[in-house]
Amino acid sequence: MPNLRDIKQRIVSVQSTSQITRTMEMVATAKIKKAQERIESARPYAFAMMEVLQNVARYVQGASHPLLEEHPERQRIVVVTITSDRGLCGAFNSNILRITEDLVRDEAAEGVSADIIAVGKKAIGYLRYRGIEPVATYRDISDKPTFADARSIAASIIGRYGAGEIDAAYIVFNRFKNVAEQKAETYQLLPIERRVMESDEDENGLRAEYLFEPTAAEVLEHLLPTYVETLVYRALMESAASEHGARRTAMKSASDNASEMITTLTRSYNRARQAAITTEIAEIVGGAAALEEA
Amino acid sequence: MARTLLCEIVTPERIVYTNEVEMVIAPTLDGEIGVLPLHAPLVTVLRAGELRVRYNDNKDVEWFAISGGYLQVHEDKVIVLADAAEHSSRVDVERARRAKEFAEQRMAEMKDKPLAEREGIDECEADLKWCEIQLQVAERRS
Repeated sequence: MPNLRDIKQRIVSVQSTSQITRTMEMVATAKIKKAQERIESARPYAFAMMEVLQNVARYVQGASHPLLEEHPERQRIVVVTITSDRGLCGAFNSNILRITEDLVRDEAAEGVSADIIAVGKKAIGYLRYRGIEPVATYRDISDKPTFADARSIAASIIGRYGAGEIDAAYIVFNRFKNVAEQKAETYQLLPIERRVMESDEDENGLRAEYLFEPTAAEVLEHLLPTYVETLVYRALMESAASEHGARRTAMKSASDNASEMITTLTRSYNRARQAAITTEIAEIVGGAAALEEA
Repeated sequence: MARTLLCEIVTPERIVYTNEVEMVIAPTLDGEIGVLPLHAPLVTVLRAGELRVRYNDNKDVEWFAISGGYLQVHEDKVIVLADAAEHSSRVDVERARRAKEFAEQRMAEMKDKPLAEREGIDECEADLKWCEIQLQVAERRS
């Protein structure tokens, strides 16, 4: 027979946990909205950037730029892993870390070594625990990434790619599909795929003749690094929005489980209480009967 | 009413400014250019500096600090893609001044080191430049 007081204590403990999870759920819901707005407000820049890039690319036929060149031999790659700083967000981080590890292992099988740039405390902690030292770490930016953060991450990759130290760069992050869905994804940052510079519009329209200052090739040279920076920035923001989405889902199911548990516990509490009362009555009745007989 | 062009200043983080203006004067790598309505399509690289727009029969001027970027002109629409941009009235002078001091200090520290150890010097220099421009633009407040 479970003790009445023990059950009561468990109910109280589950209740206080569910209070926390419910609050976290609400906080996450509010934060998703802000993170989404941030993605929205980055859109005009990204669109304009693509437009300029495609315009320039049309004029620089067969453009050659270090960031566009594929290296014939792969020896070393960089993987940017974007996780969160805080836990309690379901499989959000473990998906990313699994993909990163798979990627590193696959590359290693082909004799390619991988450097990891870790964003978020979760990635840093996990990798160090596995004995992998990231080449660079960034923490406390996952909640509110700024363009300067993205720029600093991109700068080292661009520099090393240009210098021929690395032969490819990937970014692993959670893409924000909708409030309830995130998808862990790998995206190739470098070399820049040429198809992004091809415009979708058809050829027949009258195209404006652009002037370039100083020259189209030089504009392109400035533009490509900035393009990589915007890709990183975008990934950081998507990850931030996804984090809140994942946390909301995780906290919602935690709250649901808690209320279910409270129902079950309350039921057994009542049963135990009933049983105790029944026993007591039986004892009294038995006692009274014994007295009468005497 | 004079003919106008639409000027849009956008950064990766937000849209800083949109307005119908009569002239955009921007700092390019080779010096300042002024863009008037009916300008030919153009793409150019901007350096860190001051950008200004004129409107209301050239009577009103607004100043912006730009940390570098790109400018595209197409059919009376000027898009400025800036890494960072701030309107003169919105510059946080106190913060810029502190950031400038910090950057100067870091620059001074790096000067004593051998060339190989000057990691991040370009970044630091860019920071410093950006602070200076912000302060400069803040002076333009009317």
